[in-house]
Amino acid sequence: MLAVLGTRPALRAGILGGYILLVEYARVLATEIPYAVVPALVIGGLALAAAAWGWPAERLGLGTSRLATRLVGGAALAVVLLLPAAARVTAVPLLPAGLAAAAIVVSIGEELAFRGALFAALEDAGGAPVAVVGTTALWTAAHALSHPPEFLVSVAAAGLLLGVWRMACRDLVAPIIAHVIADLAL
Amino acid sequence: MRSRALLIAAAAVGYLIAAWTVAPGFYDGFAPPQPYNFVCPPPIAGANLPPTSGHLVIKVIGGVSDANSAFTDDGQVVIGFLPGAFDVTGKTEVTVDIKPVSPCPNPPGLHFSTNAYDITADAPLTKQSDKSKWPTLVMRYSNLQADPSFVYFAPSADGPWTNIGANSQAQPYTIDVKTDKLGFFAAGYPAGAVSKASSSSSQILPVTIAVLIVLVLVGGVPLTIIRRRQARGEIPGEDDD
Repeated sequence: MLAVLGTRPALRAGILGGYILLVEYARVLATEIPYAVVPALVIGGLALAAAAWGWPAERLGLGTSRLATRLVGGAALAVVLLLPAAARVTAVPLLPAGLAAAAIVVSIGEELAFRGALFAALEDAGGAPVAVVGTTALWTAAHALSHPPEFLVSVAAAGLLLGVWRMACRDLVAPIIAHVIADLAL
Repeated sequence: MRSRALLIAAAAVGYLIAAWTVAPGFYDGFAPPQPYNFVCPPPIAGANLPPTSGHLVIKVIGGVSDANSAFTDDGQVVIGFLPGAFDVTGKTEVTVDIKPVSPCPNPPGLHFSTNAYDITADAPLTKQSDKSKWPTLVMRYSNLQADPSFVYFAPSADGPWTNIGANSQAQPYTIDVKTDKLGFFAAGYPAGAVSKASSSSSQILPVTIAVLIVLVLVGGVPLTIIRRRQARGEIPGEDDD
């Protein structure tokens, strides 16, 4: 089975996309259960991170070269993600410790799944532009259950920005940093 | 190199435009699902829709009121009833209504983070000694106000307002409590108390942005200089990617 998937990248990308979408929807539905928010986020985040299992770090964009650029890039992406909120929202409650820890897990899990494994699989199947468009589309679809429709344009634009960075810089470290900071701060 | 930078800049501008059309922009499931509808909006609320009412008819089956939940159309208040929650002597159904209270109550010594709501029913609640069988009231609150610490109850909009406690938070941006009576409810905190969203937390977003900008400048400027020197061959380039 694994050998077949290795020779059919489109099939592999499809299966990976289906798995990620399933995990995201299950995670969102599970958070509706009272007191299940933190466990659902943590388990969902770990299940998303599992999508990257078996991929070489370099294919996921997790190489250690240009580390300073990746770290500064993460901070710059976080500034962009947070600017619209910072300009308008003045009172943002601190996340409780449990929720903050869960936010970190799910942010890293989402980046490993979408811009890591799914990007690599789609890139194998159709090239980098297809990977950017494909990950953005699936990322938006994955947030359709948890966000009102009017927010999905900004969610898609955030996915596109992180995907473009992933393609242009061959880097996942910066999107991970930006996503974690954005989730913790907002 | 230049085209990559332009592509990222274009995506960033696209995001800023898209995110500006909705508040707070991009978030990943931790902000309230939708803006709070205030009766008395705070100055920072911006565009505000009036809060909505709720209406529920509970059937009486076999002489017992059925389990059901009443909620406002905007989902800001939900109250759930277990079977037999009402004394239904001589009734075939029970009607529950939830209405936002206007003008906003402003009791001395209390600050309300939510609207006050008047919850009424045309049948009295059954006296239950087991608190777990009492109706559960869930109130959503805004991220623009300080987090409430308790739910307060009053028999009329004029008070007196009594603290009826709060359960541990079941969902972000909600507060819930068990109640054995219907009437006026609001979530808030004592005016002198330090709320969860004190001045330090309300500044977290601008402080975060400021720190990140400093990091980008402090880290980015030397990196750019090194890159340009590498491009000119003044220093050896890093073998990467």
